[in-house]
Amino acid sequence: MTRVLVIDDEPQILRALRRSLEAQDYDVATAEGGEEGLALAAAHTPNLVVLDLGLPDLDGTEVIRRLRSWTDVPVIVLSVREGRADKIEALDAGADDYVTKPFDMEELLARMRAALRRTDDDLASEPEIRYGDLRVDFGRRLVRLGDDLVHLTPNEYGLLEAMVTNPGKLLTHQWLLRKVWGLGYGNESHYLHVYVRQLRQKLGDDAAMPRFIITEPGVGYRWSPDASTASVS
Amino acid sequence: MKKVLASRPVSRGSALAVGAVAPAAAVGIALALGSRNLAAATSLALLAVVVAGAVAGRGSGIVASFLSFLGLNFFFTEPHHTLAVRHASDVVALVAFLLSALIVGALVSRVREERSRAERRATEARLLNTATERFISSEPLGGILDGLAEALLGLFGLASAEISTPIGVGTAATGDREITAGQTISIPLETGSGSFGDLTVVRAADEEAFSPPELGLLKTLAAQTALAIERAALDGEVREARLQVEASALRAALFSSVTHDLRTPLSSIKASASGLLAEGAHYSEEERRDVLRTVVEEADHLNLIVGNLLDLARIRAGALVPSKQPMLIDEVIGSVLQRMRRSLEHVAVRTTIRPELPRVDADPIQIGQVLTNIIENAIRFSPRGSEIQIAAARWRSVVQVRVTDQGPGIPLEDRERVFEEFYRRDAGAGRGGTGLGLAIARAVVVAHGGTIQASAAPGGGTAVIFELPITKEDQHPDRPATVPGSVTT
Repeated sequence: MTRVLVIDDEPQILRALRRSLEAQDYDVATAEGGEEGLALAAAHTPNLVVLDLGLPDLDGTEVIRRLRSWTDVPVIVLSVREGRADKIEALDAGADDYVTKPFDMEELLARMRAALRRTDDDLASEPEIRYGDLRVDFGRRLVRLGDDLVHLTPNEYGLLEAMVTNPGKLLTHQWLLRKVWGLGYGNESHYLHVYVRQLRQKLGDDAAMPRFIITEPGVGYRWSPDASTASVS
Repeated sequence: MKKVLASRPVSRGSALAVGAVAPAAAVGIALALGSRNLAAATSLALLAVVVAGAVAGRGSGIVASFLSFLGLNFFFTEPHHTLAVRHASDVVALVAFLLSALIVGALVSRVREERSRAERRATEARLLNTATERFISSEPLGGILDGLAEALLGLFGLASAEISTPIGVGTAATGDREITAGQTISIPLETGSGSFGDLTVVRAADEEAFSPPELGLLKTLAAQTALAIERAALDGEVREARLQVEASALRAALFSSVTHDLRTPLSSIKASASGLLAEGAHYSEEERRDVLRTVVEEADHLNLIVGNLLDLARIRAGALVPSKQPMLIDEVIGSVLQRMRRSLEHVAVRTTIRPELPRVDADPIQIGQVLTNIIENAIRFSPRGSEIQIAAARWRSVVQVRVTDQGPGIPLEDRERVFEEFYRRDAGAGRGGTGLGLAIARAVVVAHGGTIQASAAPGGGTAVIFELPITKEDQHPDRPATVPGSVTT
């Protein structure tokens, strides 16, 4: 059974989450503080952590940093803080996703499934990945849309690869820039604006009605979490 | 310093000069005409006296009278070139001339003085009027006081003037650098109810001292200024008091409206949930889901209200400071539509985004809120199955976003009011809003240096249009943002 650790200081939220997650056949452990949560994470090695940022003893971002010092377990932040800076800080500390309270349980479950699927199949080691009629051949660095070859520049390809291998994950501007352009980058959001626009154009995607690349305004991008269409061949 | 006003008294030196030059000119002209005719010369001399009196005042007229008398005697009465007079008739003529010259000179100079007094009074009145008007107007006080000081400078030929009051300071000084300060006078600005500062005027060292009439005028001006300042202060207090009354009325309205808005969804959540729990309740699976769906929808609505109230509180507290960055509006539209997909189930959404839309300088989260509120509003007035259209295009130096619905539209007279806090339109069958969505949208757009308005959509319905300034680097349409290594295909 998949083990989920929920760290939140609100008993009502813990109770609601426990009920809903157990109803989805997850094995749920709960903690009301950061230290307790870290201890539980070490003891139970959960498959996924759901974490509130406003904890009484430790800030949630600090909990993420400490977790990341020894584990890659997916962390989904669940917080009332909806400011851009809070989101970026938590994500750059190593969170996989960010859901704001009040949240929709279905939404949270979908994000959890996407995060768990990423740990299950290591997409980057696959020779090819498919999203509907889009195929990315990692070995030959070839991208096809239906029967047509999509011509991408090296940076466009790098961006696409970074996204398709992390479906559903909220990738911050800084993360993407470092991944594609290198460590010296991080504040050049306009590079991303230009490249994402070009990439969307070539993939026939529409920023206002996205099919592949979903925008988290001011924070980053997310490859469509609708991974049910994804298949590895 | 150029004397701006003609009514400043001519200095004694120049008065004497005019008194001397005028008769000399008259005598010269009479001699040049080759005439030894005493009658003609007398007329010219009288003219000279009139001119001197009119131009340079009483003293000048008297000087001109005596000089003319001597000139006529010397040049035009026999024996010529002596002051002796041969004929008794010439003596009579000369004395008669002198008397009439003195009288005419006095009359003329009196007229002149009257006129200059009238002019001066008119100037004073004008100055006082402008000062009072400007005090009552909403101009910044510093500017008004500066203007007043500037006017005093011209009126009195001052080196500098300073009006120092508790509500601001106005100063003016001549541009001449080499003026040494001479007489300095400080007059308190006082009214019956207190003191409102000082008026300090400084005349250059080489200018004459202030005359008693000038001092009188300065005192009058000081008193008027004090009154005007007092009135301005009172006006401010009255305005403040009125604002407070309005604010407390608004608070009361806000309180009752918020109470109602919060209670309604809360009541329906509580009723739905407790109904499910109630003993002996029989629900079919479908009914149960329906009740639970109501709970979720009402909770969403409650969340919207709380979000709007928080935004309103931020606006009121001046805490709505956009954290601007270059962003693409189509990305924000996409993210908002994604988040709102559940509320958009009963309408069709069409987006028309111009390709290569330039970036705008904005806070993506706040602009997302603006779009959410506008679309929320459009949904509320959209008949089931109708279409909401979202378009974005460049227009000169802004990007214009237009959200159009196919609802009943807004009458012309209400198109401005929909952006007021707590203004609500009848949503018909749909649920009422909080009356805050569009007000918040406007506050945010305005904080971004943009504009927002509602207009009639072609074929009925409403179009809400807002504009945001384009990022500086993207303002030239032929130079899209470029990136090293970028290959455009």
